[in-house]
This record gives sequence, C-alpha cells and structure tokens, in this order.
Amino acid sequence: MRLIALTLFCLLLSGTAGAAAYFYPVVVAGVGQTGQTVIVPPTTTSGGKPIAAPTAAPGSPFTVLLLGSDDDLKFDPNHVLTQSMILVRVDPVSKHVVMESIPRDLWVPLSTGGSAKIDAAYSYGGASAAIATVERNFHVHVDEYAWIGLKGLIKLIDLLGGVDVNVSNPVLDDQYPNDINVKYLYGYARVAVLPGPQHLDGTHALQYVRSRHNDINGDFGRSARQQQVLLALKAKASSLNVADLPSIVSALSGEFKTSMGLDRVRSLLSLASAFDPTKIQQTVLYVPTYTSYGQISGQSVLLPHWSQILAITRQNFP
Amino acid sequence: MIARRLAAILFLPLMLAFGTGVYLYLGTMKSTAVKQHAQLPTVTKPRFVLPGTMFVVQEGRLFKLSGGGFTEIGPSGDWSQPTLTPNHSQMVAVLRGGWSSDLYLLDVKGTVIKRLTKDDSKYITSNHWAFYPQISADGQTVFFGTDNPKFSNLDPGVDLSVWSMPINGTQSQGRRWTDPYWYTGGDTSPIPVAGGLLFVRHSIDNTTAVHAQIYFQTRPLAIAKALTAPGDDCSEPALSPNGTQLAMVCSHGGQTMSLEVAPFSDGALGPVRVLLQGGLYASPAWSPDGTALAYYAPAGITGHFQLWYLSVPAAPTPAPTASAGASPAATPLVFPTPQASPIQVTQGVDLTATSPPAWY
Repeated sequence: MRLIALTLFCLLLSGTAGAAAYFYPVVVAGVGQTGQTVIVPPTTTSGGKPIAAPTAAPGSPFTVLLLGSDDDLKFDPNHVLTQSMILVRVDPVSKHVVMESIPRDLWVPLSTGGSAKIDAAYSYGGASAAIATVERNFHVHVDEYAWIGLKGLIKLIDLLGGVDVNVSNPVLDDQYPNDINVKYLYGYARVAVLPGPQHLDGTHALQYVRSRHNDINGDFGRSARQQQVLLALKAKASSLNVADLPSIVSALSGEFKTSMGLDRVRSLLSLASAFDPTKIQQTVLYVPTYTSYGQISGQSVLLPHWSQILAITRQNFP
Repeated sequence: MIARRLAAILFLPLMLAFGTGVYLYLGTMKSTAVKQHAQLPTVTKPRFVLPGTMFVVQEGRLFKLSGGGFTEIGPSGDWSQPTLTPNHSQMVAVLRGGWSSDLYLLDVKGTVIKRLTKDDSKYITSNHWAFYPQISADGQTVFFGTDNPKFSNLDPGVDLSVWSMPINGTQSQGRRWTDPYWYTGGDTSPIPVAGGLLFVRHSIDNTTAVHAQIYFQTRPLAIAKALTAPGDDCSEPALSPNGTQLAMVCSHGGQTMSLEVAPFSDGALGPVRVLLQGGLYASPAWSPDGTALAYYAPAGITGHFQLWYLSVPAAPTPAPTASAGASPAATPLVFPTPQASPIQVTQGVDLTATSPPAWY
C-alpha cells in the first residue's frame, strides 16, 4: 500500500515538474510581458470634467488599445514611435467587436505636455502616456493595452502558420523601410504584394500592413489593411489552445507587452472563436470627414475634426 | 534499507521518464495551426485525378501535375504565374529577384529558352516588376503588367500598367495598353481576346474602400469600359477555351469571395451565375474542354491553399447581347445555378494562390 502511494506521489511530482518545464516560458512571460502595470494620470476632458474610469467586470465589455511599434532598433526600446494605434472594444456577451484606427499623424495635446503627432505619445511616456493621451482626446476609457514590435508580429504570424487574407489591390512600394535583420536601418526595399486571396507569412503580412507610399490614402489605407490582418489573426487565434502558449510567448519574447494578465489573454483566445465576423465594426478616421491635412512646425500632420471624431467614437465606445 | 535504496534508484529514472513524457505529451497537444506545416506537392498524392496537364507553383517552385502525380520542373529561383503558349509547347513565367521580376520563356520541362524582360537595376527606383503574363491566341505576343512608367509626385507612384511585347522581339518593342489610377497598385490580370483586352483595374475611394473591376479595352490606351460594378469587387478573370465564358472571383466588399461565371461576347458580360460563395476562392482556371474550373481555396484551419475542381453546370441562358453588361452600375443579373459540389484535389500542400494554374 505504501509502495503504491509512494509511486503515485512520485509520478504526480514528476508529472508536475514536466508540466512546469513545459509552461516555464509562459510563467516567465507572465512576469515579464503580461500584466504590465500602467499608471495613467487622472483623465479629464477639455472642459475639465473627469472621465469615469470603471474597471471592466468579468464578462462585461472592455476596451484595449493596440500599439504597433516603429522599428525598435532605431530607438531606445522604451522610446519608440507607434506606427499603429487601434482602439478595440470587445463585448464578450454580444460577441461584438469594434475597431477604430487612430492615424499616427494626428496632431493632439499629449498627456505629457505640449502637442505633437499622437505616435509620439508612447515614445515620451510609454504605455501610460499613450493611454492617457487617447483617453483625454477621445473621451474613452481604456481598460488594457497591448504593444507589439515589428519582429514580434512577423514571429507571431509565422508561428500561427501564416494568415489568410484577401489582398485588396497590388501593394507596391519603392520606399519600404529595409530595417529588419539588417545592419543599416535607414535603407529602402522594394516590395510587391499581389492582390487576391492568399496565405501570407509573417514577412509578407508585415509588408502588407506597413507599406504606405503607394497608397492614395497613405496611412489611412494602411490602417484599413492593419484591421484586415487583425481579423485574419483573430480567425487563426480561434484554433489555438493552452498548449500553444509556450511557443507563442517564446516567439514574442521582448516583442510584446500587455497590461492584460495571462487569465485575460487565455480567455481572449477562447473567445476568438466565438465572435461573429459579421458583427465586427471597423472605423478609420479618414480625410476629409474626420481629419484634414495640415502643416505644423514644418511637419505634415493631420488636424482632427473633433466633433465628428468624438461622435463616431461615442458611438463605437458607448 | 537496501530495498529502499533500490526502490529509489528505480524510481528516479521512472520519474524522469514520466516527467519527460508529460512534457512531450503537452507538446503534441498544440493546435494544428501551430504544428502542421505544408508539404511539397511531390511528396503528396492528389485525391482526385484531373484531366490533362497542369502547372502550379509553391514557394517559388514550378510543379507539373499530370496523371495524378506531381513532378517538379524548372531551375531554382522564385518562379510564379506560368502561362502556356497556344500550342502548349512552351510557357512564359515570372522569375522574381530581390527588387524586380522578369518574364522568361521556358519549355514545358522547365528549361529556360529566353529571358524576355530585363527589369533589374542597381538603382532601387529604376527596378521594375513584371507580372501576369498572358499570351495572345496567335502565340506571337505576350501581355503583362509592369510598373512602367512610374509616376513622380511626392512619393514614386508604383502602379502596374498593361503592356504587350512580341515573344520573339525585345522589350523595347513593348507597347503600353492601359493607364491606371495612380497610387492604387494599378491594372492587373490582362487577357488578350478577340477585339481587345480584358484586365482588372483597381481604384481607391476616400473612405479607404478599394474596388476591383473587370474592364474591356479595344486598343492600346483607348478608353476602357467597365464590365463589372465597383461594389462587386470582381477580379482574377479567366476566359474559357472557346472564349465564351468568363470566370471570376468577387468579394462584394467583404472578406470572403464568390466564384462566378458569366457569358462573354463582343466585349460584354451576360448574366452572372454564382457557383460558390462564402470562401476564399482564388485564381480560377478553365479545364481544357471548358466544362470545369480549377481554383485554389484553403482547406482546414492551417489556411494553406489547396487545389479544387468544380464541374460547371451548363448555362441556363442563351448567349448575351452586347448591352447585357454595358451598365456596370446596374444591379447585376444573377441566375440560379444548380448547387455545384467542389472536389478537393490536393491536401497538405500550400500552393501559391496568386499564380493561376496553367492547364491544358
């Protein structure tokens, strides 16, 4: 009897050790990359009224600010520009997802002081400054944030075996930044992503979402493509399970940060398969309805039409 | 005491083996999307034997599918978009380099006969792309899309125009056919037809919505006529061997496609028949006898594109009149079609969905 008990205990111990070894990267990531604490200064609207900052209860809708970085190697890792900022509202009950892309060149007051293009908010004050800047200007409460670097996106898509996308038009660019896995980070490359339904690996998916020089809508066209690839990623994520987490966090090592805890990441993965693609609403703040082109201090910027922006944002993020 | 030590010695490897087993077992629990990788076509066995011979592409390699088996042909390189000459003795394919791509004439065994274009340059903006080769019915002319000229404004406009050049001539004898909308990516998928040219034109409106339309044009740089409406987002046209039916894929502004067929005559399209909808259908190609289509679509959660075969039901309507498709803004006529049942031909491969099958 004692021998049996001892045997079972030893097997349990060794099995737990095996499982612990398997999930070790997740634990490391849990400490280093997820559950990032952000201290957002109290948010007020331009009229000085504080915005309510409720904490999303389990099962209730929540808003995530997705941040995609410029190439990390050009800058101090904690002071990168964000090429992509997307507000995403997830309603787990109604299975409704809303995405609103914020143009990187939008000229706004920063939470850290002064005014600049909104892509500088993260570089001046990290995630907390990016969140506070978005909250103050767009009058929304951000529950969570997730930041991903360029290489992280490539690795994530490659790990998932690629994504299926219907490329809407030929994406050709003679001035695509040649800054991944090269010594000189300021060169150009030519890229050509042909139109039509296709399976994109990480490198080509990045080219599709990052190219902007040959799009008549510039950054707006790119924003629409980013939302499209996000949806393709969501479709792929719906097939993942807990056993995939170690590979994912290993691939994203140093290329991903989020305020979400592992529990919420895991529940998002399980939710991904439940969302109805027809209930996903996408908004891009394009010219001339929401923004207009302008020049400030010699920089080409986008000037916000706040009445229209706030109206659509209120509608998207009630 | 000795028994305990012996038990401990026996338990240690057992525990090590069990712990390792748990670790390895968890690894096998990964989802299919993460752990399953595509295979080369040559190590797979098609599930369905297609009539005739077909050339397809995977990861820049050319493959011949004939008699229910794949063989790899051609030299190494990043090859794509093979298209056959009318007598099926030669093909033109695209060879992509780092910053450019060129058209090459090959025999059907994959041996390079001749380089048709020279688009590479040491200066980045002097490079060009050449894609979508299609050969005229007399076998003398190749039509293709190339980013020439480039539009110079604030950013260099890199948009494809349709050009033609003699297969036995030089690139300098090339002739430009279309004038694309700038900063849209341009015009793609030319098909030389009797009396003109079919091609796809892309446009982008200020809400960032992108539209693809099939156009017909009678001569170089003439005004082109839209055969499909902007909202239908139709592209990837394929003309049946007898030139009377046009297959195409249309997204209708969504993320999934429908596979559609319409009669084509005198530069106009007739009533559209929707054969399939709700999937990611790509690059349809007609069977040699014009009774079926091959196309690519993902199978399973991995998303890798497989080859599919679809028998096309006989058209229920007479041939169109020239006016039937003249007004692309009008609501398209859609005729009910008996439910077609696609057959999956390949499994486990990852065929290049932007390279239409070349089939004879």
